[in-house]
Amino acid sequence: MTAAIDVQQVEKMYRGKIHALRGVDMRVERGEVFGLLGPNGAGKSTLVKILMTVISPTKCQGTMLGKPIGHKATLANVGYLPEHHRFPEYLTGAQIVDYFGALAGTPRAERKRRIGEMLDLVGMGRWADTKIKQYSKGMRQRVGIAQAMINDPDLILMDEPTDGVDPVGRKDIRDVVRTIRDRGKTVLINSHLLSELEMVCDRVAIMVQGEVRQQGSLDDLTEPHRRYEVSFVGDDQSAAALLAGMEGVSVEAGIASIPTEDPNRIQPVIDCLRASQIVVKGVRAYRPSLEQLFLDAVGEDSGPGAGPNKHSRMHMEARP
Amino acid sequence: MILMQTGAIFLDAYRELNAKKLFWITMVLSALVVLVCAMLGINKQGITFLWFELPFPVNSDMISPKLFYLTVFTSFGLGLWLTWIATILALVSTAGMFPDLIASGSIETVLSKPMSRTRLFLTKYLTGLVFMGMQLVVFCSGFFLLLGIRGETWQPGLFLAVPIVLAFFSFLFSVQVLLGLVTKSTIASLLLTLLFWLGLFGLNAADAILVSVRAASEIRLEDAQESLDNQIAIAERTVDRMRGKGEPIPGEADEPLPEGAANTLEAVNERIPRRAESLQEAQDAIPKRRVWSDRIFIAKTLLPKTGETIALLERNLISDEELDALMGDTTDTPEQFLGTMNDPRAQRRAQDIIRKRSITWVLGTSLAFEAIVLGICLMLFARRDF
Ligand SMILES: Nc1ncnc2c1ncn2[C@@H]1O[C@H](COP(=O)(O)OP(=O)(O)O)[C@@H](O)[C@H]1O
Ligand SMILES: [Mg+2]
Repeated sequence: MTAAIDVQQVEKMYRGKIHALRGVDMRVERGEVFGLLGPNGAGKSTLVKILMTVISPTKCQGTMLGKPIGHKATLANVGYLPEHHRFPEYLTGAQIVDYFGALAGTPRAERKRRIGEMLDLVGMGRWADTKIKQYSKGMRQRVGIAQAMINDPDLILMDEPTDGVDPVGRKDIRDVVRTIRDRGKTVLINSHLLSELEMVCDRVAIMVQGEVRQQGSLDDLTEPHRRYEVSFVGDDQSAAALLAGMEGVSVEAGIASIPTEDPNRIQPVIDCLRASQIVVKGVRAYRPSLEQLFLDAVGEDSGPGAGPNKHSRMHMEARP
Repeated sequence: MILMQTGAIFLDAYRELNAKKLFWITMVLSALVVLVCAMLGINKQGITFLWFELPFPVNSDMISPKLFYLTVFTSFGLGLWLTWIATILALVSTAGMFPDLIASGSIETVLSKPMSRTRLFLTKYLTGLVFMGMQLVVFCSGFFLLLGIRGETWQPGLFLAVPIVLAFFSFLFSVQVLLGLVTKSTIASLLLTLLFWLGLFGLNAADAILVSVRAASEIRLEDAQESLDNQIAIAERTVDRMRGKGEPIPGEADEPLPEGAANTLEAVNERIPRRAESLQEAQDAIPKRRVWSDRIFIAKTLLPKTGETIALLERNLISDEELDALMGDTTDTPEQFLGTMNDPRAQRRAQDIIRKRSITWVLGTSLAFEAIVLGICLMLFARRDF
C-alpha cells in the first residue's frame, strides 16, 4: 500500500515574494499519527493547505492516498480541520457536521447515523442542537474534529487542533486522536505545541523556515542524543583529566556525559572517578525531549548573533 | 454526489438568509404588496382603496378594470416594486454571500471538499438567482390571481416577468459578486453595485435625452428641407407664370440678376437663401449629435441594459393601442418625460428608435456582459490562494 502522504520538493512562493516553503520532503505512513512541528510562520499551514487544494503550490511532486496532490475526488476520503476556522454561526453543531458531510459526499442515511456518533466521540453529543455561536473555542474545535470525521476518512489533517483549548480540553483532544488512530486512520497534526505532540505522535517532522529539518520516529530522532550522565562533586578539570582516555566522554559543570545507552559502559567511568576519591552524586539515563530536539533543530543555523531564530524560539511557548 | 452537494449549498444559503431574517421578510413583503394592490379598485365613481374613494379623475368608463390592474402591475408592481425595491432588497440580502464564503476560516473547509471551484462558484451564484426567482414567482402568482379575480382577465404572459426581471437582477448581481470577490467586503460590494446601477441609470437617461435631441434635429432637418422645397416650388411656379405672361425673367436672356440672388429662383423668391441657410445649419448640427448618441450607444452595447430589459416586458403586456390610451397616465419614464418637452413628432421618433433596438440586442449584449463578468469572477476565484 502507498503512503498516506508522500511529497517531495514542495515549494510555495506567495505573491509578494514570501518564500513560505523551500523544497519540503515529507512522508506519512498509513495508520500513524504524524506530527508536523515548527514555530509560527514555518510554513506548516501552507503545506497542509496545499495538500487540501486550498492554495496552489509553486512546485509540488508526490501523492496523497496514492493520488497526485490536487486530485479533487481523493478529498472525499480526507478530513480537514483548518486553522482558525470559522464555521457559519447560524448552524448548530449537528448541522455543521451534516453540511460538511454532504459537501464531502457522504450519503444522507450514513450522515444521519454518523452525526451522533461523531459528536459523541468528541464529547459534544449534549450540544448537538445548540447554535455554535454559543460555543466556546474548545467546543468549536471539537465540532471541527467531528466535522472532519463525518465522511469516515482514511486520512485526517488537523491544523493546530489544540489552539486556544484549555488543558482539560487538550487532553480530551489527544484522547480523540488516539481513538481515531486505533480505528486505523492516519492523522497528521500540525502544531507549535511540542509537549502535545510528544504524547500522541508516532513520528514527527520538524519544520523551520520552510524546510523540514528532521523527520522520523521519536526514538530515531532522540537516538543520537541519548546518553548517560554521571554527576560528581569536584572540579571539572581533574575529572576530565582522569577520564581523558575514555572514548566520547565529556565533562561539563560537574557532569560526565557518556554517549551510550548501555549501562555496562558507564561502570568504568564510575570506577575511575571513585578510584580517585571523587564523590558520585547521581547517575541518570538522559533522553532528550522533543522540545530539546526542536530547539536544537531551530538553533542549528543560529550561531552567535544570528537573530531571526531568537524570534522563532519566542513562539515556542503555548499561547494562553 | 453532485446533487447532494448542490442540495447542501442551497440549504445552507437558505439558512444563511433565514438567519439574517431576510428570506421570509422579503417573501412576506412581496405578498403584502400584492395584497395592497388588491385593495385598490376602480368603479364608475373613480379609484377606490378598500371602501375609501381616492380623488383621481379616472373611472371605469375611461379605462376598463383589466387595463387598470394591468397598469397597476406595470407601473407599480413592475416599475416600482420589482425593479427597484425588491431588487435592492435582493441585492442587500445576497451582498454578503460571496464575501462570507471567501472569508478566511470558512473558505478552507469548503474548498477542501471533492468539488471543483468552478462548480462551487456557479452553484453559489445560482442560489442568489433562485432566491430572487422565488420572490418573483410569489409576486407574479399573486398578481396573476389579482388580475384574474379583480380584473377579470387571465394573463399568463405576466409570468414573463420572472425570467425578464431575473435577467435584470442577474446583471447587477454578477457585478456585485465580482465586487464582492475583489473587495471581500459586503458593504463595499453592495454600495459599489448600487453606484454602478446609478451609472447605468444615468447612461440610460443620457441615451434617452440624446436620442430625442437627435430625433428632434433630424426632424428639424426634414422640416427645413421641406420648407426649402416648398419655396423652390413656389419660385418655379412664379417663373412659369412670368414666362406665360412673357415677362422678363431675371438671370435669363441677358436680364440681370438682382443683387444678392445667385440664380433665377432666388431672384423671384427671396426666402430661398434663408431657408437654404437654415437647412445647412440643420445639416451641420446632425453629425455632432450623432457622434454623442453613437458613443452612448456603444457604451450601452457594452454594458447591461437594465431599463430596456424591463421595457421588453411592458411591450409584451400592454399593446400599442392600449399604450396610446394610457399615454396620459404613465409619464414617469425618462424618455417620455423628456419627450413631452419636445415636439410630439420627435417624441414618437425617439420612441421608435428605442423600440427598434431588437430584443437580441437588448438581451444578447446584456447577457454577454454578464457572462464576461462571471468569467472574470471564475478566474479570480479559481486562482486565488485563500
Ligand atoms: N495568504 C498568504 N499570503 C502571503 N503570505 C502568506 C500567506 N499565508 C501565509 N503566508 C506567509 O507564509 C509563511 C508561512 O505561514 P504559515 O504556513 O501560516 O506558517 P505556520 O502555519 O507554520 O505558522 C509566513 O511567513 C506567512 O506570513
Ligand atoms: Mg499555522
